[in-house]
Amino acid sequence: MLLEVRDLQVEFRTRDGVAHAVNGVSYRVDAGETLAVLGESGSGKSVTAQAVMGILDMPPGRITGGEILFQGQDLLRLKEEERRRIRGAGMAMIFQDALSALNPVISVGDQLGEMFVVHRGMSKKDARAKAVELMERVRIPAAAQRVRDYPHQFSGGMRQRIMIAMALALEPALVIADEPTTALDVTVQAQVMDLLAELQREYRMGLILITHDLGVVADVADRIAVMYAGKIVESAPVHDIYKAPAHPYTRGLLDSIPRLDQKGQELYAIKGLPPNLTDIPPGCSFHPRCPMAQDVCRTGEPPLYEVSEVRGSACHFWRECLHDRDQ
Amino acid sequence: MPEQPHEPEGAIAGTGMGAAMDLGVSEAETLEGTAGGPGGTGPAGRPHSLWSDAWRDLRRNPVFIVSALVIVFLVFISLWPAAIASGSPLKCDLAKAQDGAGPGAPFGYDGQGCNVYTRTVYGARTSVTVGVLATLGVAVVGSVLGALAGYFGGVWDSVLSRITDIFFAIPVVLGGLVLLSVVTSNTVWPVIGFMVLLGWPQISRIARGSVITVKQNDYVQAARALGASDSRILLRHIAPNAVAPVIVVATIALGTYIALEATLSYLGVGLKPPSVSWGIDISAASPYVRNAPHALLWPSGALALTVLAFIMLGDAVRDALDPKLR
Amino acid sequence: MTATSEPILEVDGLVKHYPLTQGVLFRKQVGAVKAVDGVDFTLHRGETLGIVGESGCGKSTVAKMLCNLERPTAGSIRFKGEDITRLSGRALKAVRRNIQMVFQDPYTSLNPRMTVGDIVGEPYDIHPEVAPRGDRRRRVQELLDVVGLNPEYINRYPHQFSGGQRQRIGIARGLALRPEIIVADEPVSALDVSVQAQVINLLDRLQSEFELSYVFIAHDLSIVRHISDRVGVMYLGRIVEIGRDAEIYDHPTHPYTQALLSAVPVPDPEAREHRERIILTGDVPSPTDIPSGCRFRTRCWKAQERCAREVPALAVPAAFRDVSGPAAHDSACHFAAEGQMAAARDEDGNGPG
Repeated sequence: MLLEVRDLQVEFRTRDGVAHAVNGVSYRVDAGETLAVLGESGSGKSVTAQAVMGILDMPPGRITGGEILFQGQDLLRLKEEERRRIRGAGMAMIFQDALSALNPVISVGDQLGEMFVVHRGMSKKDARAKAVELMERVRIPAAAQRVRDYPHQFSGGMRQRIMIAMALALEPALVIADEPTTALDVTVQAQVMDLLAELQREYRMGLILITHDLGVVADVADRIAVMYAGKIVESAPVHDIYKAPAHPYTRGLLDSIPRLDQKGQELYAIKGLPPNLTDIPPGCSFHPRCPMAQDVCRTGEPPLYEVSEVRGSACHFWRECLHDRDQ
Repeated sequence: MPEQPHEPEGAIAGTGMGAAMDLGVSEAETLEGTAGGPGGTGPAGRPHSLWSDAWRDLRRNPVFIVSALVIVFLVFISLWPAAIASGSPLKCDLAKAQDGAGPGAPFGYDGQGCNVYTRTVYGARTSVTVGVLATLGVAVVGSVLGALAGYFGGVWDSVLSRITDIFFAIPVVLGGLVLLSVVTSNTVWPVIGFMVLLGWPQISRIARGSVITVKQNDYVQAARALGASDSRILLRHIAPNAVAPVIVVATIALGTYIALEATLSYLGVGLKPPSVSWGIDISAASPYVRNAPHALLWPSGALALTVLAFIMLGDAVRDALDPKLR
Repeated sequence: MTATSEPILEVDGLVKHYPLTQGVLFRKQVGAVKAVDGVDFTLHRGETLGIVGESGCGKSTVAKMLCNLERPTAGSIRFKGEDITRLSGRALKAVRRNIQMVFQDPYTSLNPRMTVGDIVGEPYDIHPEVAPRGDRRRRVQELLDVVGLNPEYINRYPHQFSGGQRQRIGIARGLALRPEIIVADEPVSALDVSVQAQVINLLDRLQSEFELSYVFIAHDLSIVRHISDRVGVMYLGRIVEIGRDAEIYDHPTHPYTQALLSAVPVPDPEAREHRERIILTGDVPSPTDIPSGCRFRTRCWKAQERCAREVPALAVPAAFRDVSGPAAHDSACHFAAEGQMAAARDEDGNGPG
């Protein structure tokens, strides 16, 4: 196993009180596997990833519990110096906004090469050659000439490729991609996702794909963890979840996608709003918005029930939810 | 909004090394951040505005409390100096020249035998008047010109920007020496006028930038799409949202205007005796600083404290109004 | 919702070029950003016209020109026969009442210093003839109710609301003057998935309730399909294909539309193995330097020499001129043809997403 997050808890101190951003999240990723973490803003999907990477801003953030096991080591027990060695070489991150993630006053070649200078102690010249090689890998045309260009001279799609090249430079075992294609256009999005998937297969990396886009998930993920209000509410292999979701929130998300046979009708909409993280509803945090909510949901917090060996759902009525879909 | 306050935007933030990997390269919004959506904010969440948030911050900030108390005290004595100092600052007795502290004169006497305590207290009025009026003038002239240039853009903006550049190139003290030396009036007005003349470009530049930023917001476009007039857009939509940086800079500038008045008076081109001003007193006391250091010390100390108080107030206000520091 | 009624808006040869200048005081033009480069369409009463395209294709600039936020460089926009691009003063103000806009970003489209009541009521301040002063508060509360907000929120400030609720406030403001046309520029793309559907439903309901015509601009193809009667596809400042929704989505004949549709991720993992995707190479060319002839040719797998020479007109392609059927709609391509994917999609009767 590559990465296992166990019962992670993160909170933020804000002026409105303590915001419980992550409330006992557990997931695992194996080598060569793609785990999609799906959620809306405020679901805690990015915070979890930042905690794994060790780039969570603390304060205001605080990890109050849990373990993050990476290749058997609990990252939360390591010294900052040791964690830094793991970042980049062991795990890397791809961000949504490549323009702001790249330094505008340093040429992309130098930014790519720096990885090798810092982590591998290469000479500047060798690092430059490596940079060109990487740019070719991510299929940037005329890499040898463009290695001296600055980030603003590249288009959005090309910049995201450079980000990917940077993440993959040291061949990390785990890559976390936080909304890697959200800022890109549809046609470019397809290019970049394809590239990422291909490189992942080639290097047998574990990939955590953080997204809100159900379409992207269906295209590339092996397994999905759906997050809501800082918890995983459903976790399952990708095929199962689209066929028959076992949690009403997942079902609501899938149903609210416009479909051809519903044209001219109302879209299904999950009522209400995501909860305020400083004041998460008791019991099941989804109950105020849930069409299936019963009294027990208001008081009893559902554990992650085992739906099958590979599947879990944090809904007291997961059976009914699955059943509904079958009909 | 826990996911929002500090979205790390790093390259491979993991390496955490070198400028290329610098975290927080920009404030770009991510989906998970402000642009994204309601996040955890229900309709009941965060019932604050910029101003009430700022006020909450300020009330808890010791720097603000101390500087505000100093300023309140200063304003008080400049309005009613007689409340704490008896006698006239102009009543001097050469016989007591350079004397140390005595009854009714806790700070001693200066070279002309004037009561240093009384003069220091009365000097506050000049400083506060010059500071406040010059700042008001600068703020009004600067923000009106800057806002118009920023809002309408085009040729006027180019012209104003060039004029601003020219004014920035004038050394303030030298300009004061040249311009004020031809003035005969011994009131605060020429000094204030000079400060407004040289000070407005600073504010106009800030106001212009701020207006340009605010102008790009969709609510300005929305108002225009409704057919709102330029004056309505400027006054109702842009001004309230663009004023914060101007307030910050003006508060800090207030301190420097007080210092500038003292400097000019010291150099003999600001106020002249029989006016009472810390600058005049510092100037008068400096030749015999060895014999009577107290005559220099007290007005200088009062000046330093006043300038510091205003600059610290400006600093505190800036921290409170700058959402990025939250 | 089929719109066969008279056109309410006719756009003809719409062009917006932003000059690129050098120099400070003595500006000289060194080029132009051709944001919109000849757009024609008509909008009928009660109809929704969707405009899709990638960033930089000019769709937002079209929206701004429709709402008179930008002056076109050339071309005309006729509202009920009257060219609104030449109006000014009182006449312009009157027309503005009839064409209102809903903005993309609910966080920047509401003035944070104004209460909801002031924001929604501002249209009445600007057009006092619409509602007598004493009646405004009641009207504002009615509007809030119509868009599904509690009318008692009238004294709250925008930051006290979530993104979806703010977008409702923006919609209420847009409705205040009882416009006939609403131009919605990416109205849901900044919202969370679960909230998007709520806003789309609201727009749908308001359309029938107030007999609105919509120009709905978005990059999300499935949402555009859901709400639109007709769809125009824009690329680099021009509409390259336009037609009824089923014509565009199930029988696209322009290669760009085909590529765009095939690139949309489908929320169905079963589809990923046997799905035919056209992955375009390269990036959209700069709008300062538009390719000669067909502007899509630099990324088109069908491009031939003719494409560099001749600008393809937006019309029913010759191949389909004599047939009637969904493939016979306007498409600006010399080699317009239905792709195989169109046929495949017909079978399961399910469009992309």
